[in-house]
Amino acid sequence: MTITRRNVLLGGAASAALITTAARAQTKEVVIGVIYPLSGASAQIGVDAQRAFETAADIINNKYDFDLPLAREEGLPGLGGAKIRLVFADHQADPQKGRAEAERLITQEKVCAIIGTYQSAVAVTVSQICERYQIPFLSADNSSPSLHRRGLKFYFRPAPHDEMFSKAMFDFFDALKKKGQKIETLSLFHEDTIFGTDSANAQLALAKERGYKVVADIKYRANSPSLTAEVQQLKAADADVLMPSSYTTDGILLVKTMAELGYKPKAIVAQDAGFSEKALYDAVGDKLEGVISRGSFSLDLAAKRPMVGAINEMYKKRSGKDFNDYSSRQFMGLIVMADAINRAKSTDGEKIREALAATNMPGDHTIMPWKDVKFDAQGQNDDADPVLLQYVGKKFVTIFPPQAAVAEAIWPMK
Amino acid sequence: MTAYLVQRRPREGGDPYVEDFQFDLFLTFPASKRRSWLWVPAFAGTSGNGVSGVTAETIIQSLASGLLMGLLYGLIAVGLSLIFGLMNIVNFAHGEFLMLAMYAAFFLFAYFAIDPLLAMPFVAAAMFIFGAAIYLLIVRFAMRAKTNVGMVQIFATFGLAIVLRGLAQYFFTPDYRSITHSWLGGKTISIGGIFLPVPQLVGAGLSILAFGALYFFIKRTDFGRALEATREDAGAVALVGIDQNRVFALGWGLGSALVGLAGAIMATFFYIYPDVGASFALIAYVVVALGGFGSVFGAFAGGILVGLVEASTALIMPPSLKSVGIYAVYLLVVFIRPRGLFGSI
Amino acid sequence: MQDITHAQRRRRDLIIAAVLIAVAACVPMFVKDVYVQNIMVLTLMYAALSQSWNILGGYCGQISLGHALYFGIGAYTTAILFTKFGILPWFGMLIGGFISAAIALALGYPTFRLGGHYFAIATIVIAEIAFLLFLNWDWAGAALGIDIPVRADSWLKFQFTRSKLPYFYFALAFAAVAWLVTWWLENSKWGYWWRAVKDNSEAAESLGVVVFKSKMGAAAISAFLTAIGGAFYAQFVSYIDPESVMSFQFSLLISLPAVLGGIGTLWGPLFGAAILIPVTELTRSFIGGSGRGVDLIVYGSLIMAISLMRPDGLLGLFSRKRKKEAVR
Repeated sequence: MTITRRNVLLGGAASAALITTAARAQTKEVVIGVIYPLSGASAQIGVDAQRAFETAADIINNKYDFDLPLAREEGLPGLGGAKIRLVFADHQADPQKGRAEAERLITQEKVCAIIGTYQSAVAVTVSQICERYQIPFLSADNSSPSLHRRGLKFYFRPAPHDEMFSKAMFDFFDALKKKGQKIETLSLFHEDTIFGTDSANAQLALAKERGYKVVADIKYRANSPSLTAEVQQLKAADADVLMPSSYTTDGILLVKTMAELGYKPKAIVAQDAGFSEKALYDAVGDKLEGVISRGSFSLDLAAKRPMVGAINEMYKKRSGKDFNDYSSRQFMGLIVMADAINRAKSTDGEKIREALAATNMPGDHTIMPWKDVKFDAQGQNDDADPVLLQYVGKKFVTIFPPQAAVAEAIWPMK
Repeated sequence: MTAYLVQRRPREGGDPYVEDFQFDLFLTFPASKRRSWLWVPAFAGTSGNGVSGVTAETIIQSLASGLLMGLLYGLIAVGLSLIFGLMNIVNFAHGEFLMLAMYAAFFLFAYFAIDPLLAMPFVAAAMFIFGAAIYLLIVRFAMRAKTNVGMVQIFATFGLAIVLRGLAQYFFTPDYRSITHSWLGGKTISIGGIFLPVPQLVGAGLSILAFGALYFFIKRTDFGRALEATREDAGAVALVGIDQNRVFALGWGLGSALVGLAGAIMATFFYIYPDVGASFALIAYVVVALGGFGSVFGAFAGGILVGLVEASTALIMPPSLKSVGIYAVYLLVVFIRPRGLFGSI
Repeated sequence: MQDITHAQRRRRDLIIAAVLIAVAACVPMFVKDVYVQNIMVLTLMYAALSQSWNILGGYCGQISLGHALYFGIGAYTTAILFTKFGILPWFGMLIGGFISAAIALALGYPTFRLGGHYFAIATIVIAEIAFLLFLNWDWAGAALGIDIPVRADSWLKFQFTRSKLPYFYFALAFAAVAWLVTWWLENSKWGYWWRAVKDNSEAAESLGVVVFKSKMGAAAISAFLTAIGGAFYAQFVSYIDPESVMSFQFSLLISLPAVLGGIGTLWGPLFGAAILIPVTELTRSFIGGSGRGVDLIVYGSLIMAISLMRPDGLLGLFSRKRKKEAVR
């Protein structure tokens, strides 16, 4: 009594690939599970993620002239040209459901690897299940630093986590101070979720270590109907830098409420999330000229690496949006995983794990500003250098670190 | 806790928003003492370093913002209260009604460039039809249950809420929407350092007007009296020849139209997505219960009280716990007055 | 005459239950797929939870929409005692149950005086306060939740890496116990009082004080069982956070099977769970992947359709005779 759904739910690109596969017959396929919130409050992220993964699968399965692993061949040469097939599952932001879906993907869909999950709480249970079944789990876009410190053997994260992101911010402050800017006080503004808590803890620790004074540390309830009281406290504190860790909804409300209460922060350095979403800039972009957000992706990289622009166009055709910090990490997640499976020449979990652990992908073979992709013993890529981006003239430009920067930071913001 | 008057130093560079040289009453709490006084130490981490001074300005600003928000909560909740008063039904899809109204205002803006303020009558009319239709197509049948009518209608409307969310995601996509330019949006009035955002001000004014009109409507018009009579004794009303179904349908229409007003005004300053109603639904239930089920004036008072309590809780407790203040006040009120402030049923 | 049929019916119910348990216990021999086993575990868990809820919400008519509070306390007590103090979950489970029962008694005193919707909203609000406190309570993991490390299969620690069978049998036993408690209560002195109060408000007044006490008892039993369910959930998922064990949605999920199956009936919760949980899981797994909210539409329509077409619960479909008897 098993329930399979065979060809029901394949992503567009993957199903197109399947048809050509069927035509030529007999080519193996490699099934990878992708677990995201596809309904509920964060469905938008999940739907965008689907497009990002489909774009990556398209590049792997078909021939493209990009300097990206597996782009120039059809399918995975290590497995005789096998194609990648993605199976999407919906976890509805519920750790229990994520766990059940991971188990279903492993036992029924026979996936050889799982990628996920956006919400860190779900990554906790999904990675646990993967560990139990000895299937590699790649955490594409979870940024909670606690995730890779749980002693899991099958956990991998090519992208930076919040401590690395926060460290980049403080490096940036230190650099500005050397140039004579006055940065002494900070206001933290973070939601009451894993993401917000972890981010604030990292920032508090760094502030203490580097001698910045945190004049307001405001934790708020995610998706509050009103942020007036919170913004008042920020306004009263009036720190040199406001550091929000908020998702899109609260980000929009925060910016609107600040304008309503006449609070104009001297500078905003955001922990990504909502502050890298198009929806936020569509809504309140006019009030955010000069806002700085951490990121792991920047479109201006396209000037140095033309394939970044071309791949972005491919993604845009599917989703109607430019790559952002999330979709770019999701895209890279599948590329890194497929590259490891290709080198493992096998769909066996342990072999893929070994291949992942041995990953050494130079930065210029990615679409990211990273130095390279290499995993430490805990499965974290410590060379995924985060960047700081500033929103100037309706687009983001890289301003930090110096080697990646294309422009000088405008400080304080307008 | 110490209080002292200080002369505020003008800010460097001069801030266009803040008048220079202004006297403030400072109430300061030593950080460590504040924590233990306000909250058990285990929770101290949440209050963080806090803000060292709570000024008179902050307090007045908080209360003003709380009042505006409270009037809006009242407007959101009054439809719920009206429907409940009429037929003893709690609409668990109320938040989703609000969501639909916000989307209606958004699409009128996006496709026809109609300002939400102008769109308000259209949104209210559309919601009126929608509400009446929901009654005729769904709720009417939920009321036929012989036993546990309360539970049946809770779950019928709960199911409806999930369907509406799903439909919104299906047709409107889960993208976050927002009205960028409107006559009201982004404008703010400052009086002596107290900032009053125009959309919320208009919303508050609208709320007062709506409550006034509703009161007049119920007391002075034939239909209003029919509503009132139906609610008091449905059986007797049927004998007099009033079509109960018609009255109920109009009641649902009216209740939904009121949410429509709230949704249209909220669309000018709030984000819109399929789950947006959830943030407001629970508050609306508490507002209605606090004021007393079935009392229109209760919803008005309940809304204001909830707004003020929410704002002042955030002054003394970590903002992430500000809803706790609302809930505690609700419990306090019903423990003393089991039918809410002005409830009769 | 009526007493005899009543006694016969009770015996029949007991026999049916025994047969069902025996059959259910054999099912895993034929169903090896973990995904399906997972659905069975969840179904039994929700049946038991809803059965526990039904004691207070159905039989006593105290519609609680805040049972996530007891569930969460059960889950948190076990998880905290195990991860911080090394106390085995079996003890943690009982401790959590007693804490929940104590809380239910403390809350019952002021809240039972409230009528209908005031009571329901009070329960929502109390659970929501607890939810917010846990979300901000650093020592209990706050938003990070508690990750229970799973090392090796062990009955002592009640954790199993891949096998679902131990969880299945625990859930089965849990559902059986919840059913038996309800079965026993139905025919007890308390059960008679509750029925008398529902049917007749005069009886309610004369019985006032004793009924109040019996309801407190029901609340304690209901909370205790719900907390056991919470502890089970913590072991089963091996990760808990406030959002997944204490949210308002969860309170609704606990009461839903009873409402759909037939509120205040012996078989309603089991029947409701047997339909609702597989549908929830299957719609998400097989149409949720589209990302267009179709699963929500199907799931919501189903709840709506059932509550509209069978307002007295799905059970009404089968026992028309009993329904007539109930309506009289």
